[in-house]
Amino acid sequence: MFKEFAKGLSITLKHLLPGNCTTVQYPQQKLEMSPRFRGLHRLVPTQTREKCVACYLCPTVCPAKCITVESAENEAGEKYPKVYKIDLLRCIFCGYCVEACPVEAIEMTDAYELANYKRDDFNFEKERLLKS
Amino acid sequence: MVNLTIDGKQITVSKKATIYEAAKEAGVHIPVLCYAKKLLPYGACRICLVEVEQMKGRLIPSCTTPVTEGMVVNSISDEIRKVRKTVLEFLLVNHVVECPVCDKGGECDLQDLTYEYEVVTNRFEGEKFDLPTDEINPLIERNMNRCVLCGKCVRVCDEIVGYGSYSFINRGFETKIATAFDRGLNCEFCGQCVSMCPVGAILPRPFKFKARPWQLKEVDSVCGYCGNGCTVTFGTKDNEVQTIRFNDKNGVNDGNLCIRGRFGISYVNSDKRLTRPLVRRNGHLTETSWDDAIQVAVAGLKAAGDKLGVISGARLTNEELFLVKQLAKTLGTENLDHSGGECYKGVTEGLKETLGIQASTGTFPQVEHCDAILSIRSDFYETHPVFGMVVNQAVRNNEAKLTVIADKRGKFTKLPNARTLLHKPGLELNILNAICSVLLDEGLAKTDGIEGLNELKDALKDYSADAVAAATGVGADAIKQAARELAQADNAAILLAYGLPYTAYSKELGTAAANLALLTGIAGRPGSGLYLCGEKANSQGAVDLSILPGEKGLGAQQMLAAAGTGELKALYLIGEDPLTSYPDRALVEKALEASFLVVQDLFLSPTAQKADVVFPATSFAEKDGTFTNAERRIQRLRVGITPPGEARTDFAILQQLIQEFGGQAPATSAEAFAALAAETPGYEMVSLEMLGPQGYVWGGDILQPESKKLLPVAGAVAVDGDYQLLVGSSLYHSGTVSTGAKGPMAVVSEPYIELGREDAAALKLVDGDLLKLKAAAGEIQAKVKVDRRLPKGVLFTPYHFSQLELNRIYRGQAAIAVEPVKQ
Repeated sequence: MFKEFAKGLSITLKHLLPGNCTTVQYPQQKLEMSPRFRGLHRLVPTQTREKCVACYLCPTVCPAKCITVESAENEAGEKYPKVYKIDLLRCIFCGYCVEACPVEAIEMTDAYELANYKRDDFNFEKERLLKS
Repeated sequence: MVNLTIDGKQITVSKKATIYEAAKEAGVHIPVLCYAKKLLPYGACRICLVEVEQMKGRLIPSCTTPVTEGMVVNSISDEIRKVRKTVLEFLLVNHVVECPVCDKGGECDLQDLTYEYEVVTNRFEGEKFDLPTDEINPLIERNMNRCVLCGKCVRVCDEIVGYGSYSFINRGFETKIATAFDRGLNCEFCGQCVSMCPVGAILPRPFKFKARPWQLKEVDSVCGYCGNGCTVTFGTKDNEVQTIRFNDKNGVNDGNLCIRGRFGISYVNSDKRLTRPLVRRNGHLTETSWDDAIQVAVAGLKAAGDKLGVISGARLTNEELFLVKQLAKTLGTENLDHSGGECYKGVTEGLKETLGIQASTGTFPQVEHCDAILSIRSDFYETHPVFGMVVNQAVRNNEAKLTVIADKRGKFTKLPNARTLLHKPGLELNILNAICSVLLDEGLAKTDGIEGLNELKDALKDYSADAVAAATGVGADAIKQAARELAQADNAAILLAYGLPYTAYSKELGTAAANLALLTGIAGRPGSGLYLCGEKANSQGAVDLSILPGEKGLGAQQMLAAAGTGELKALYLIGEDPLTSYPDRALVEKALEASFLVVQDLFLSPTAQKADVVFPATSFAEKDGTFTNAERRIQRLRVGITPPGEARTDFAILQQLIQEFGGQAPATSAEAFAALAAETPGYEMVSLEMLGPQGYVWGGDILQPESKKLLPVAGAVAVDGDYQLLVGSSLYHSGTVSTGAKGPMAVVSEPYIELGREDAAALKLVDGDLLKLKAAAGEIQAKVKVDRRLPKGVLFTPYHFSQLELNRIYRGQAAIAVEPVKQ
């Protein structure tokens, strides 16, 4: 029994030694996010337009109802999102929008520093989402 | 009846039923793509295959196989699943999978089936279709890359609409649906094909990329255009009626609609709608508050004392019309009328004096089973297109003999075996008289219990078939044959539409049609009917509620005349634009100038521009209430959207006015209905709860005539002149309000003068040339449209457009003698 106790404690002690600390000195030091991390959304652009075709699946699946899409027809006769807006204050970062998207037009980046001073700044319009 | 077993369920169905229909009745779901309730079985898609014990060894298409006694059907098994999945795989070989951008996504039958049968991979490979889309027409978008070749559009256009726009072309993998010479669609634009398409191959262009089906809120209401009373189901979102949804469960129209019903809704969301009350100050109409506008109107009307008149439109609900009547009573005037005051007289006077009733005797669905149909005027299809589709079905499915008494050819005259009695303009009466005289001469008439037979016989002496044939230009044999068919048919129907552009001889035509209905025994006979159909959504309601001049009161025309001379001091117009649509513009102009004018309307119409007070009212999509259609069916309207700005319902406006004048008004529309039902003949037993999905037909399916009196009617005299102008309704428009809707305007955007090819050649005119017509009372000018349907010397122009100022020369004549001058 004592043997096991010592073994367990040795791990704790090992972590107390310099160089074995898991806590990083944020914000001077930042961790690399897992590729599966669900941070700020990003709309994927193509050469000429956004990849999104305004199919309305993301606002439909969104449990927080934070996505606003308005579709329209562009000069080429294609369907495109005239408005694409995410209210980040409502978003719960569940990633359903990414999962629902049939054309892989929305993905989630590793950006997690999303604090802001004004409510309006949490409204991510299409242009902003395309650049994020 | 036949007994059979489907999935272990015992069921008894009619022997005409197919396995699919029997299964539906038994509550067993069989998937289909090419089946539609109202179309003949076709068997194109092979999705509905089932197993039948008696026919082992192969799978049976359930939608085309009639039931037989003792049949044992399995609707699902591993083999059926496998076969259905294979069929779907075949369909998906060429089908372009662009569900994210396809507006059908979410209600697509193919999408649903693919999901249900888990078709995630495809064992077959092939080229995807890459056909051009039809981008030419403004209303219907065809994308043949998504087509599954079910043929529903081909069949509905042929079987129901009778237009025949579509056909299959090419063979094998190349097969596709195409229009004549593959040129793109140019048709009636009724959009029946849109409603039938199970996939996204045919879609309504005005709704393109607007919303997803699941985002739309569906509200069942009644179309506000013509007297047919079709059910329209609004698809609303963001307080706009985005589109009209398919609904074949409610109402009388079986899901059928015309261009107006399907594409003519956009006027309710027009930004030209009035949103605030207007009052004339210093000669200009200025926006003001409701209180102010009401006070100005009340002061003006009070100043007129009892020297005022109320003219209503026929697109108000029954409840609102009831309040109109209350208001007139409160104002102490009997000067109350609707719809120009002349056109409905065939019903209120013609039918009243002969049959003792003021309504059509039958219901629309009966006409489908008629053996003989007489349509007076070919324009019936233009004014009531969906009823026209019923006639088409009678002709196609029941081989009904259709006779059209017409001054021009039209859709009806093109139907198979239709007999057109093409007469000189204005002589319908003579032909009706001639048909009556043939019936009497040949002893075909049913004369039991009918009064006035001898008088009629005497009066008809001059109207023998031969004499009338000579005078009207119709073959005598054709008249005789038409008479015989009508008399011998088990079920027959006589159709006559009335409306603002058809004021000439309205009473006489009603009487003559009633005479004929009596002599043929049509009036009151089950399965048969005499149909006098109003042009507007609630024309029948206005007649039922008696929005008519009282005994000492003036009719609309007399009111306008009296207002012109100063006898009437004030006019209150509700939902009418007399300056555009009433005959005799000079009369109307004088009346509007001279009197204190209150107008209640949706738009700042030419009439409203002359008003002293304008109240912004609401469209049919924004109010509750009931309409009574031309077959006496009372149906409910429901609120789809909220009114724009400060606009109020006609009900609320009238209610407040009545209270201002010290009267009592019902508080709600339900109370108003109870009150009007209590005092309207025929409505006594009706309550709002009785108005189910199919509405309620007051007086029953067959309204029995209260009297059977023949009244002689003098024939008309042909109009002199080499060129005669007919005034009427265009298929794409209804009244004046459709000129505020994008759909109808996309097809017919401006007034035109139509003439036959012979005349066009003689006058050296081609489509689009400017033509001036000089008549005794003035002149009009519009672009020319050359067609084949008009006989020589006959011109036609629709009355819907205010800019034409047609009523400068139209004063209610049957035909106007004109002199065409090329510009």
